[in-house]
Amino acid sequence: MSAGTLRLERVTKVFQTPEGRDVVAVDDVTLELPPGSFVTLLGPSGCGKTTTLRMIAGFETPTRGRILLDERDIARLTPDKRGMGMVFQSYALFPHLSVFENVAYGVRLRGVRGRDLDQRVEAALALVNLHGLARRRPSELSGGQQQRVALARAMAIEPRVLLFDEPLSNLDAKLRVSLRSEIRRIQQQLGTTSVYVTHDQSEAMALSDIVVVMNAGRVEQAGSPSEVYRRPRSRFVADFIGSADFLDGPVLGVTPEGLDVSLFGVTVRVAAGDGHRVGDAATVVVRPESVRVGDGPIRALVRGSTFLGSLVEYELMVGDQVFGALDPDWMSRGLHVPGEEVPVSLIGSKLYALPPDVRSDTAAHASDTTEVAAD
Amino acid sequence: MDTSALATAGGPGTGLPGDGQEAAARGRRRALDPAVVVALVLSVAFVLIAIVWPVLAVIGAALTDGAIPIFQRYLSPPQNQILVNTVVLGVVVATVGTAIAFLFAFVQVRVPANRWLKRVLHVIALLPIVSPPFALAIAAISLFGRSGMITRDLLGMRVDIYGLPGLTLVMSLSFFPVAYVSLMGLMRALDPALDEAAANLGSSKLRIFRTVTVPLLLPGLASGFLLLFVEALADLGNPLVLGGNFTVLSSRLYIAIIGQYDMLTGSVLAVLLLVPSLIVYFVHRYYAERASVVSVTGKPTGRPSEVSGRPARAMLLGAACLVAGLIVLLYGTIVVGSFTKLLGVDHTLTLRNYEAVLFGYGTKAVTDTTLLAGLATPLAGLLGVVIAFLVIRGRFPGRGALDFGTMLGVAVPGTIFGIGYLLVFNVPVQIAGFTIIPKLTGGAALLGGALAILLVYILRSAPGGLRAGAASLQQIDPSIEEASISLGADQATTFRKVVLPLIRPAFLSGLIYSFARSMTAISAVIFLTTPQIRIMTQQILNETDAARYGNAYAYCVILILIVLAAIGILSVLVGSSTRAERTSGVNVGASR
Amino acid sequence: MTRRGSAAGSIVLAGVLASTLAGGAAAQDGAETPTSLTVLCTPQEDWCQAMVAAFGAQTGIPTSYVRLSSGEALARIRASAAAPEFSVWWGGPADGFVAANAEGLLEAYASPEAAVVADTQKDPDGVWTGVYVGALGLCSNASVLQELGVETPDSWDDLLDPRLQGQVAMAHPASSGTAYTALYTQVLRLGGEDAAIDFMKQLHNNILQYTKSGSAPAQMAGRGEVAVSVVFSHDCVKNFDEGFTDLVVSFPAEGTGYEIGGVALIKDAPEAEAARMWIDWSLTAAAQEIGQTVGSYQLPTNPNAAVSERSVNLADVNLVEYDFQAAGEARAALTQRFEDEVAAQPVE
Repeated sequence: MSAGTLRLERVTKVFQTPEGRDVVAVDDVTLELPPGSFVTLLGPSGCGKTTTLRMIAGFETPTRGRILLDERDIARLTPDKRGMGMVFQSYALFPHLSVFENVAYGVRLRGVRGRDLDQRVEAALALVNLHGLARRRPSELSGGQQQRVALARAMAIEPRVLLFDEPLSNLDAKLRVSLRSEIRRIQQQLGTTSVYVTHDQSEAMALSDIVVVMNAGRVEQAGSPSEVYRRPRSRFVADFIGSADFLDGPVLGVTPEGLDVSLFGVTVRVAAGDGHRVGDAATVVVRPESVRVGDGPIRALVRGSTFLGSLVEYELMVGDQVFGALDPDWMSRGLHVPGEEVPVSLIGSKLYALPPDVRSDTAAHASDTTEVAAD
Repeated sequence: MDTSALATAGGPGTGLPGDGQEAAARGRRRALDPAVVVALVLSVAFVLIAIVWPVLAVIGAALTDGAIPIFQRYLSPPQNQILVNTVVLGVVVATVGTAIAFLFAFVQVRVPANRWLKRVLHVIALLPIVSPPFALAIAAISLFGRSGMITRDLLGMRVDIYGLPGLTLVMSLSFFPVAYVSLMGLMRALDPALDEAAANLGSSKLRIFRTVTVPLLLPGLASGFLLLFVEALADLGNPLVLGGNFTVLSSRLYIAIIGQYDMLTGSVLAVLLLVPSLIVYFVHRYYAERASVVSVTGKPTGRPSEVSGRPARAMLLGAACLVAGLIVLLYGTIVVGSFTKLLGVDHTLTLRNYEAVLFGYGTKAVTDTTLLAGLATPLAGLLGVVIAFLVIRGRFPGRGALDFGTMLGVAVPGTIFGIGYLLVFNVPVQIAGFTIIPKLTGGAALLGGALAILLVYILRSAPGGLRAGAASLQQIDPSIEEASISLGADQATTFRKVVLPLIRPAFLSGLIYSFARSMTAISAVIFLTTPQIRIMTQQILNETDAARYGNAYAYCVILILIVLAAIGILSVLVGSSTRAERTSGVNVGASR
Repeated sequence: MTRRGSAAGSIVLAGVLASTLAGGAAAQDGAETPTSLTVLCTPQEDWCQAMVAAFGAQTGIPTSYVRLSSGEALARIRASAAAPEFSVWWGGPADGFVAANAEGLLEAYASPEAAVVADTQKDPDGVWTGVYVGALGLCSNASVLQELGVETPDSWDDLLDPRLQGQVAMAHPASSGTAYTALYTQVLRLGGEDAAIDFMKQLHNNILQYTKSGSAPAQMAGRGEVAVSVVFSHDCVKNFDEGFTDLVVSFPAEGTGYEIGGVALIKDAPEAEAARMWIDWSLTAAAQEIGQTVGSYQLPTNPNAAVSERSVNLADVNLVEYDFQAAGEARAALTQRFEDEVAAQPVE
């Protein structure tokens, strides 16, 4: 099977509420998915990620914009003509059909019969490690097994694009982790372009080539997991992916290596995007691992601590600013208790100053389109 | 709930002699909760005495030597034609009724249309539930009879509505709502993702309908079909009014008892009716329980895929509107007829019919029926819910039997209870010279025979409460009740304070169903009315037979108004009606 | 559910039932003025109503009634023989009374008022006494007949006309005294049960429906559901008066049956005293003139009662020699035969 190139061009979806009000679920989204890539749509519920996926699948029709599969506009094509495999949140296994028949359902529709059919179904089931369960009914399977059947059924039709709608959200944590690596393995093995919807950022990180963070119908940022984590484009992205605190400080200098920002009276050189000017205020993303506890020029008050084994998580306060910190080296330095004052320092190379135009946390974002670059 | 209390119902089960609070609590858990015992004893007594015994009495009466020639007579030509007619009527009505129910449910769930139009269609589809079962038959004669206002005056045809065609028309329209409500519930519960998955795999709309939607609804369709079959088998009112020479078991049985007081023939016919009814009813239950289409993991996403093709949409909507129009036309005829001197002959407007019904000889029927149905409603509702509680939460042997016994109340055709009550309760029941149960049937009985009618109302309605209660109890985590008990509440308090409020919507729908059912019941009570107790449905039948249609129409209108008023009052008393509507889809069904 | 709650509930229940449903259940004994009467009434509802109202007004006895067709009434008396619900049975062909008496369900009462009634219209032992007379007729809808191109039938054999297929209505002899009279008329006319059943079998092909009550077929004819109905002629006139002006009455030339509507005391009547008063009263001229006021033109048996000009003149009609005793005794077996050999047969 050949992987498809999927492109969304300025796609907008407006729903009407029963009272007749318009609700913009997806607002002017442009995305490009290179062949074979695994793209995750990530965001809180109601951000428009599922609607986007359903428009790709054809269950919703865009109000405006184009959806192109290999340069062909498919926005008006009915779902059954799109050749995309989809894995549903509720799995949507046909309860009246056996596992075999579930997987065979789509293959048969493609005119495959007899031994070929058996082989295709067997291969799909083997791919998801479901040997010997072909005769069972869906209700006789565990949740994880049902999920695998759903996956096998979607893959068996050799789709141009695989779509996943929060497929792991109904499983327990342990199963989620093992299944997600399996999904990744299978996807890489087949090389099928995949779009995956989730609200779980660790799932998105673990699976994706490209993470698309969505909020209020818009794309906040799209990029590789590391890039989104390391260089968030907005406060929303920084906050949604990993944990982050925000410190504001004046920009003292702009250098090719980064900005010099004054934080708690200490000048720190932080990584940053373009557009900052000396004298502006910068918002710096402080992740817990970018704070070193136990030595440094800043005196911080310990407000709380959580012991996690290999790490200790502290809640620190300087002035009226509260931020988190992780101490991976507590064994050599000992534990700090709440009320204690500790010296801390900020590791400039692990900090990131948000781009100036999206610094504020208001919903109005300047960027209207976001191009996704191939990795 | 405290399941161990019922599990140890055989012995005293004293707890550990402890001094701490914990030990005391455990002691109480182990001991028999008196309220549970009382509820259990009362329920079992009711089921045995009011339901099982009369049915067994009928079977017993038909298993005597004298019955053999009667069996032979009705199982061989020419009299076996009655049996054949009965089955044919059942199959035809069930087929047409299920088709109509499916059409209406499909339009509601899958066809995009104006919200108000759908709402109106829904209300029209429910109308037959709150009206006497043969109201439509009477209107059908006026409209489509040989001298019908439409067939004859408008179209100039002479249509023979008596017999199978007419019965099919009115019985399908009268009985489809129950199947409609349950099918609609199933369709709504169908995970839309299933359709989407099929589409995603390359299925066309028509193919999805054929390979996914219909197979998934098949148990529901089968259950609806069988339910309508049982209803059609048991119906007495319509065959009496519109049967013509198309004799069925129930109408022949009626002649045997009412015309000849031939209990032996009556019992034989009752058994002939009972066997298929019971078999089909419990096959229906089997399918109804399998008709759950809730997807494996629940949490359905997406929206139901709708019919988008214009011609298909127009056809489905058109068909539904046509049927709805027919229902409205028939009910309109009833209303207009109730204000008319002689519908079809003399169209002078008059209030004479209402005068006769409300202030003339009909007054007593109106008050008696309303009073008895009003008394039966809370009793049946409570009994149903209590039995549901015992059956779902209890851990005692014979739970299944208690459930089965209660369900006999609807599975067994009403005519059989009529005969059974005459057989068992026409004389005082005595043990060793002491009267245990006084004579219940007939005018000379206690309270003029009202108790027998009340009992029949309760036993016919309690199964509705049982199924609705059981369905909603199964949704409630038992640990909620355990929490109440661990906080020191006894069973009765837990039931009152925790269980009843939680299942209130089901309880309400049980009450509404029960009242509507009692008000419109005829097949059992027609054998039990007495000079002292008049029942509206029987009066309607009498008026119809004597062709005083004006009065019959007026009775129907008043009956429908009483039921609607009661629904309003109950909704206010017990809770919001929208919540009850949601649970009223519970499949209870069976005949009136 | 608590015990206290259910006990309280049942007390309320019993109280409400007793207070609201108290009709006339209590038995009446002794010389006290009777306090209630329940009449089993077989003629049409409005006549029953008028009779009961008049009797109640005159005697001060609260009187109620239940209207049941003749066969139903008989079945009902039989069903409640151990504890009778009714005290007096008024109306309906006398053969029903004969059948009831044969089963020991009635009690003789020779009313002093019965002296004026002709001997042919009462039982010699006073088991039943005639209160009205009516002749069986053919009640046809003139416009339907015209449409079908059929002349107004004036013989039983006219009813077998193939053009009348599905155009004839009569009641079921098991439930209706009218229909039984029609059936037994065939026995008398044709000289035997076999011949009568044969005739009914032929007629069966033209029958649309066997109704429960005897007068209902007249209304069906009135509305044009059928062309011809077999009813007592007074029922036809009654319907004509009520607006079915297409109706015409004719009488079979071969001879037709007639009924003597009876009144009788039910055995072990709970309100025997009041029941006797009813019987006495119902034989008076005044009581027998009530029927005309509600459009029931049966002929009175009391020669002093005024006869409506709309009533049938029996002198103009060829009547069969009706034997109520024999008819009553044959009733059970003959209706069974009818059921098996006629009603259950498919229409050809």
